[in-house]
Amino acid sequence: MKLWPLLLLFPVAALAQDDVWDDEDWGDDWDDEPAGVVWSGFVEAGLGFRVTDDPLIDDSGTLEELRWRIETSHETDAFTIDLKGDLGYDGIEDDIIADVRNLTLAFSLGSNTDVRVGRQVQTWGTGDLVFLNDLFPKDFVSFFSGRDDEYLKAPGNAVRITHYTSLVNIDFVWTPEFEPDVYLDGERFSFFSPVAGQSIAPDPPFRAIEPRSSFSNGEFALRLFRTIEGTEYALYGYHGFFKQPNALTPSLQPTFAPLTALGASLRRPLGKGLFNAEASWYLSDDDRSGTNPLIPNDQFRLLAGYEWEARPNFTVGLQYYLEWTLDHDDLLANSANPIFEPDERRHLLTNRLTWRTGRDRHTWSLFTFYSPSDRDIHLRPSYAYRHSDTWSVFAGANLFAGDEPQTFFSQLEDAGNAWLRVRFSY
Amino acid sequence: MMRFTILALLALTATSAHSQELTDADAIAERANAAAYYSGADGRSEVRMIITDAQERQQRRQFTVLRRDVDELADQQFLVVFSQPSDVRGTVFLVDKHTDRDDDRWLYLPGLDLVKRISAGDKRTSFVGSHYFYEDVSGRPHTEDTHELIETTDEYYVLRHEPLDPASVEFASYVTWIDRTTFLPMKIEYTNAAGQLYRSVEVFDVEEIGGHPTVTTSRVSDLLTGGRTDMQFRFIRYDVGLPEDVFTERSLRTPPRDWLARPTD
Repeated sequence: MKLWPLLLLFPVAALAQDDVWDDEDWGDDWDDEPAGVVWSGFVEAGLGFRVTDDPLIDDSGTLEELRWRIETSHETDAFTIDLKGDLGYDGIEDDIIADVRNLTLAFSLGSNTDVRVGRQVQTWGTGDLVFLNDLFPKDFVSFFSGRDDEYLKAPGNAVRITHYTSLVNIDFVWTPEFEPDVYLDGERFSFFSPVAGQSIAPDPPFRAIEPRSSFSNGEFALRLFRTIEGTEYALYGYHGFFKQPNALTPSLQPTFAPLTALGASLRRPLGKGLFNAEASWYLSDDDRSGTNPLIPNDQFRLLAGYEWEARPNFTVGLQYYLEWTLDHDDLLANSANPIFEPDERRHLLTNRLTWRTGRDRHTWSLFTFYSPSDRDIHLRPSYAYRHSDTWSVFAGANLFAGDEPQTFFSQLEDAGNAWLRVRFSY
Repeated sequence: MMRFTILALLALTATSAHSQELTDADAIAERANAAAYYSGADGRSEVRMIITDAQERQQRRQFTVLRRDVDELADQQFLVVFSQPSDVRGTVFLVDKHTDRDDDRWLYLPGLDLVKRISAGDKRTSFVGSHYFYEDVSGRPHTEDTHELIETTDEYYVLRHEPLDPASVEFASYVTWIDRTTFLPMKIEYTNAAGQLYRSVEVFDVEEIGGHPTVTTSRVSDLLTGGRTDMQFRFIRYDVGLPEDVFTERSLRTPPRDWLARPTD
């Protein structure tokens, strides 16, 4: 661990002394409301270590970074420009962090249409850490290494047009160049390769073959949504590619198969809590019959969830998720390695427990993924302490266990880690 | 003609409120609810909070609130847009308050571009880490408590309230000092089941804005630990003509700049 980057904290801390909020006599500083361009963000140091050895990876560290978040926004009557980016150093990848998470130009066309162009993070759907119709890129490496939840959503370069009408609202997102998930690549965590028939951690890190850049290889996502009497309804459509490299080229190179998805969701109050249901039908465009062993089959995905406040400041969320692989007999009949193919029905249960104490100063959380069909489990305990408006501390762990090496969480059994982050917000 | 007479009478009642002493506790409670939460057909305000814990450590919050009444003394909509501190900047809170069922609440988290629905849950839990409860901000319907007029002074109607559903709240009773002229609750003291006075709300400043007496400085104190939250309102306007479509998902992702802008008049 190189400690020198921590020195960067000090100039930022000094800068914060000029904050208008430091006025003790706050009655008079209303007029000092920041005019023009406001800069904010945070500086965060993060450390994470394996709790078990991974025989394939020497490094016992899973998170070792210092990042400086910069956010600003510039508004005019006609448009808004937003910038959100990270600079820093990642000790695991031994590389500079220079990521633009958001750089967008937003404006309205007429009174009912909003347009946002540029690099942006997007989310829709009703699942809690389970995604069906949300086919925007996810960063699972961040998710499993203890970075802030925000980093699970990876940015993409896109045009988003939202049109509001009294009948229905329409969201359309065009991502001209396919933006895959940030998938497991063997650099931080080893992963299971069905081709190798075992876990691998290639060096240089694994890279799947991405589709050629062209208009038809872009991603098109559509959502129709409306809220009626407290019930949120939505219909979804997507045309693009599976976000994980779960297909193979004829020369057995991992790649992304074309995908069309159609879905629907609803979310509404029920009893003392909230109920959500979502379904999606994945059409694997290059293997509709399910006979091509190199291409994933069609799938039907279903989610039902319920969340309620069981006690004051104590919230419980439960979800049931089904991944139903269609034409499963054809998949097995044509597969070179039937034992590594997914079950016809993969069942997943999730549970989120959140307990806030001390007027939200402390947040204790446990998120559990458990698949009774894959017989694997992923536990995500975490604790957040908000010391002040500027200092926060986060700690947690990512733990995995499973019976078979090829299932999603089981392959991460040697990736179990504990992490700590300290954040200074400015 | 009949209608005109009733309106005229009502007008008369309103203007001579101070001289006429009310004796019906339910009527006083209803007028207090109207004065505290339903001024005008809509309104906007900027709000600052200083949260001071028992160790005298301070945190701050700053946000703008837009409010629109759907039905007089009943359903309302709120849009709360946070500007400070930096870790909550851009967070937007949308509430459809219902008096006949649980409120609908949404929270927009800009980092994830996530529109999170919040279960109705307990409205007597901390509002953004302060000593105020959600219910202190959006209003506790007067229909959820019993009201008893225990004293009438020159300045105040003093009402004692008990919850109709004691299991749903942390207090056993509370006493409200309601200004006889403005009908604003100027002090509220809460007593728990053990008989301890444990929480108070005090109003320090009231200004008349757009013809409506309005609280501009108040404090909630935790009398057991010594913590407190001071809240200050500025740039308040009523009857600004907020349209219904300001209170929709669109405003979560794209806050309505024109309606949030600080009034210059």
